[in-house]
Formats: sequence, C-alpha cells, structure tokens
Amino acid sequence: MRILVVEDEASLRAQLEAQLRKAGYAVDAAADGEDGFYLGRENPFDLAVVDLGLPKLSGIDVIRRWRAAGRSFPVLILTARGLWQDKVEGLNAGADDYLTKPFQAEELHARINALLRRAAGVAKPVLQCGPISLDMTAHTVQVDNLPLELTGYEYKVLEYLMLNRGKVISKTELTEHVYDQDFDRDSNVIEVFIGRLRRKLDPENRTQPIETLRGRGYRFTLECGEG
Amino acid sequence: MTLSLNTRLLLASSMVLAAFLGITGLVLDSAFRASADTALRDRLQGYVYALLAASDLDARGKLHLPAELPDARFSLIGSGLYAEVVDGSGKPVWRSKSLLGLNIPFTKTPAVGEREFVKIEVERDLPLLSLAFTVGWEANGNSDRRYTYRVAENLVSFNAEVSRFRQNLWGWLAGAAILLLLVQGAVLRWSLAPLRRVAGDLHAIEAGLAQRLRGDYPRELRQLTDNLNGLLTSADNHLKRYRDSLGNLAHSLKTPLAVLRGAVDGEMNDAALRTIAREQLSGITQLIEYQLQRAAASGRTPLAAPVPVKPVVESIVAALAKVYADKGVEITLHIDAAVTFTGDAGDLTEMLGNLLDNACKWCRRRVQVSAHMRPPAVATQAALDITVEDDGPGIPADLRARVMQRGARADESTPGHGLGLAMVQDHVALYHGQLQLDTSSLGGLAVRLYFPVPP
Repeated sequence: MRILVVEDEASLRAQLEAQLRKAGYAVDAAADGEDGFYLGRENPFDLAVVDLGLPKLSGIDVIRRWRAAGRSFPVLILTARGLWQDKVEGLNAGADDYLTKPFQAEELHARINALLRRAAGVAKPVLQCGPISLDMTAHTVQVDNLPLELTGYEYKVLEYLMLNRGKVISKTELTEHVYDQDFDRDSNVIEVFIGRLRRKLDPENRTQPIETLRGRGYRFTLECGEG
Repeated sequence: MTLSLNTRLLLASSMVLAAFLGITGLVLDSAFRASADTALRDRLQGYVYALLAASDLDARGKLHLPAELPDARFSLIGSGLYAEVVDGSGKPVWRSKSLLGLNIPFTKTPAVGEREFVKIEVERDLPLLSLAFTVGWEANGNSDRRYTYRVAENLVSFNAEVSRFRQNLWGWLAGAAILLLLVQGAVLRWSLAPLRRVAGDLHAIEAGLAQRLRGDYPRELRQLTDNLNGLLTSADNHLKRYRDSLGNLAHSLKTPLAVLRGAVDGEMNDAALRTIAREQLSGITQLIEYQLQRAAASGRTPLAAPVPVKPVVESIVAALAKVYADKGVEITLHIDAAVTFTGDAGDLTEMLGNLLDNACKWCRRRVQVSAHMRPPAVATQAALDITVEDDGPGIPADLRARVMQRGARADESTPGHGLGLAMVQDHVALYHGQLQLDTSSLGGLAVRLYFPVPP
C-alpha cells in the first residue's frame, strides 16, 4: 500500500513518514499544497494524509482538485484547530476522515487501516481467503491458522493482491503500490516476490492462490470471506 | 481623494446658490434694460407727437413751429434733447435751438406713417437714440407735402441709470449670497455636530477613556451608534473570553505539567513513565482544544443575520456519514426549511457538530435531529428548539449533571463526550440559551437546545 503524506511542518512530516514506513507502507511526502496535488494526481496512491493548513494551496483545495481530476483514493485530513467548521468543509470537499492534532500513532494507524479496508470494500480488519487469513491491523498472515513469516514487501504484495482479488493486477501496478517514488523499480523483483509467496503460501501446490496471466499480470483466485 | 461631508455640502450648495443668484441677476438686469429702453422709446414717440401737435402750416403751405415748445429742453443749447423737421426732399424746415452748433447726422427718412429708431454716436461721449417719423400733410386740398420729424435724446443719463441699477442689483445679490453662505455654514456645522461627537467619542474609546458611545444622538444616527455600541460590547466580550481562556489554560496546564515533572524527576521505570506521560499529554491536548474552541466562539453579535438551520445540519450530516461509514448510522432530520438560528453560522456548526458526533459515536444505529421555532407565548419569548437524539445507551439521570462538567466523561473509553457537551453548553450560554439532557424516545440520550430569538 502506498501512502502520500502532505504536511508542511518538517518534523511532523518526518515523523509521519517514519511511522508509516515502519508500519509497512510505501510513503511519499510533499511539503506544500502544489507539490502534494501534483504527486497525488500523477501517482497511483492508495491513500493520502493531508494537513488542512498548507502553504501555496490549502488542503481543502488540494482534495477538491484531486476529486475534480478523478482521483478517488481515500483521504485522511489532519486539522490543528479542531473546529467542526474545518472538519465539515474538508469532509464535504472529498476527504473521508479526519484526525485532530496532536494525535497518537495508534489512532493514525487505526484510521488509515479503516480507510484502506473501506476503500477495498472490506469492513472487518481480517480477510479470510481459503486457508489464508490476512490481518490488516497486525500486518500478519496465517495459513491454516499457523503464523507465516513474510518480509515487509512480501506482505505488501500479498495484501494488494488479496484486496483486489479476482482482478488482474499488472506488474507495473504492483510495483507502483508497493514501492515509493524514490525506489529503483525492477519488475523482476516482483516476479521473485510472487515466487516466494507461492512457495510460502502453498508449499504443496494445492490451492494455487496466485495465478499468472502471461503478459498481463497476476490474479488472486481464492474466494474470500470476512473473518 | 474623499472630500469631507462638510466640504461636499458647502461646495454643492454654493454652486447651486451661485447659479441661482447669477441667473436671477441676469434676468432682472435684462428685464430692467428692456423696460427702460421701452420707456425711452415711448418718450421719443411722445416728443414727436407733441411737436406734430404744435406744428402749423401757414397760408403758403410753410411749416411753422412755435417758439414755446412742449419741452423746454428743445430750446436749451446742448440740453440733450434735439429735434428737426425736414421736408420730402430732405431739406431742413425747422431745427430746435438745442441743435445749435451741433451737427447730428440724422439719416433716416422712413415712409409715411413709419417710424424708425436709430442709435447715433455724434462724438465720443455723446450717444444718442433718434426717432424719425414721417407724416403726409394735406395742404390746400391738393398738394401733398411730406415732413419727417426727427427727435434724438442723449443716452448718457439712460446709460447711467441702467448701470446704477446694475450696481445696486449685483451688490444686493452678492450681499445676499454671502449672508446665505454664512447661514448655510452655520446650519451645516450644527447638523454635522453629532457626527463630530461620534468621532470624538470613538477617539475617547481608542484612547481607552471610554467604553462605549455616550450621549443622545439624533434618530438618523442612533441605528449606527447603537450598532457600534453593540459591536464594541461583543468585541469586548470576545476579548474577555480570550483573556479568560488564556488564563484558564495557563492555570489548568500547571497540574499536568507538575505531574509530568514529578514523573521525570522521580525514580520510575520507562513503561510507567510512558503511561503517565501519555495520560497527561492527552489531558493537555483536551484542555487546549476545549479552551481554543471556547475562545473561538463568536457569540451573539448585534449584526448577526438569521442562519437557516437545515443546510448547516445537512452539511454536518454529509460529513459525518463518511466518518461513520463503517457503522452505517441512519440519520433522520425533522427540520423545516424556515427554521433559522440568529447568530454565527460557525457557532451553530460547532454545537451541532459536537452533538451529532457524540450521537453517531454512541448510537446503535439511529440518530435523529429535529428543530422548530416556538412562537412567542404570554410568558415566553419566541425560541428555537433543536434536539439531537440517538438510540444508544444514554446517560443515567444521576450522571447527567456530572457529565456537563468540563472535561468529565461518562465513559472513559470513548474520549471527549463530556468535553463536547461542556463545549456546547458554553456556546449555548453565549446565546443566553439552555441545554438539557433527557431520555430519547429512541432509547438513548436526547440533548435539547433552546435559544431565545431576539425580538
């Protein structure tokens, strides 16, 4: 999952970036409204965290312009004043949730998780697909109720495929959602991750959860229910 | 550049006055000239008739005029009144004595029965107006003789009369203008005095010598001064609220800071320290938020326009629908489009935002907002009633008073319930309204707001 952070306060921006990276997200950051708008318009983010009081272009205008440009990723707004007027204006401009500064890291993660799940049409934090169960709060995976060791990138690839189950996901799309902008992209790495995931998730080649469509990408094939 | 009111009024009225007096002067002047001119011409005509009446033909048909003429000036040399009579061939038949030594170039010889006026300048300083009149004289039945009578009068006295009148006229008009301007200036000073008083009072307020505009102002200004006073009062209250908030904030921050300091200085393991720091930090955050929101409230201002309640509620509901999308809250509104709140739209948003957020947080599924205007009754003022209710657990009657206290919470697990209610109560008090907690027909908490409508 790739997240855009638009915050002008340098120390808070660095803190947010660090917290979100640690939680396993790919993170890009912008320090003002114009940069933020441009980044969000040009890149396929899964979520954006936007401060309302931004230089050059206000947070509300950034969200309005994204929505006008057809960007539909969920947006979480940060407000310092805590006034309902600001929150209502932000939410009605196209944001999906708000957080009043100062906030706790857990609160931020909970809101981001909820928004990502909501965007994927999943109400509960745990997604159960066949023997595989994905806990989006704890960022853990179990197969047949046994915990599975995954690296951060492997988890990200699996989460993205499972949230978009049944759809064909190209390598480019996967790369864009798993890595941030500064990463040197190489689609062979994705093939390596997919191979490792297949071995870990389905060592006996029984369920074949990830299907390869030659020249088009990958598809997660198992039926899912919310556990 | 903006001219002062005084200058504008003075300029405008002076121009009107000047135009009016100028035109009056011109009209009077030309009317006087015309009538003097007519009188002069009539007089000349009269001389001619008098000379005609005095004229006589002798037996040989020769014209005679008596020595005693109708006006003595004809006989005085250089008197200013002259006459001559010429016959049909232009040969002078008779000249008045006054013409002696003068040669007046009468030239006109009009047809019989006609008269002609001509201005003649004989020498410098001797302008004349002459009248020539020709008569046909029947003598002895057959021979028809024509005589032309020419009379001329000196215009010096006429001109002097006209210019004397002119001097008089313009003198009086100028005097009247000066007098009118003076009166007008005085009237202006007197009329604008209340405005100067307002400016003076405002100066005094600026200098900190007064709190409001004092004194009795004329009716036209009273609306303005009353509004100014209202604004001053509300700005004053605002300032006082900010000051209070700042003081309260500083005082109430001391406790958590003291706890933090004690924890840092004391012997304590990391985990315990962290727990205490977290608790105190969230307390500090709440304190700041509470005081900030309180200070930001506008309260009732004298110029507040009525705000329609329905669109405000609708925009809050649209926003909260997103926040509580996972919960699937059903929010129903019973608000007539004509229901209005007299006050600041931002304050209304803060109050309803807090109440609706609480309701959505605590409800099982349903939230209801109703608002209606209560017409004035015998004992009560007109009022706006707003009720926000939910089907949640509600608050037991014995806990309600405690919940209203600042920062208190009925349930520590969902932060901010009590904070929100205390905030709303502060705002309601600014509008001299009331907040009541009740049990909703939906089963949960009903918060009723009551705002008197200013007459």
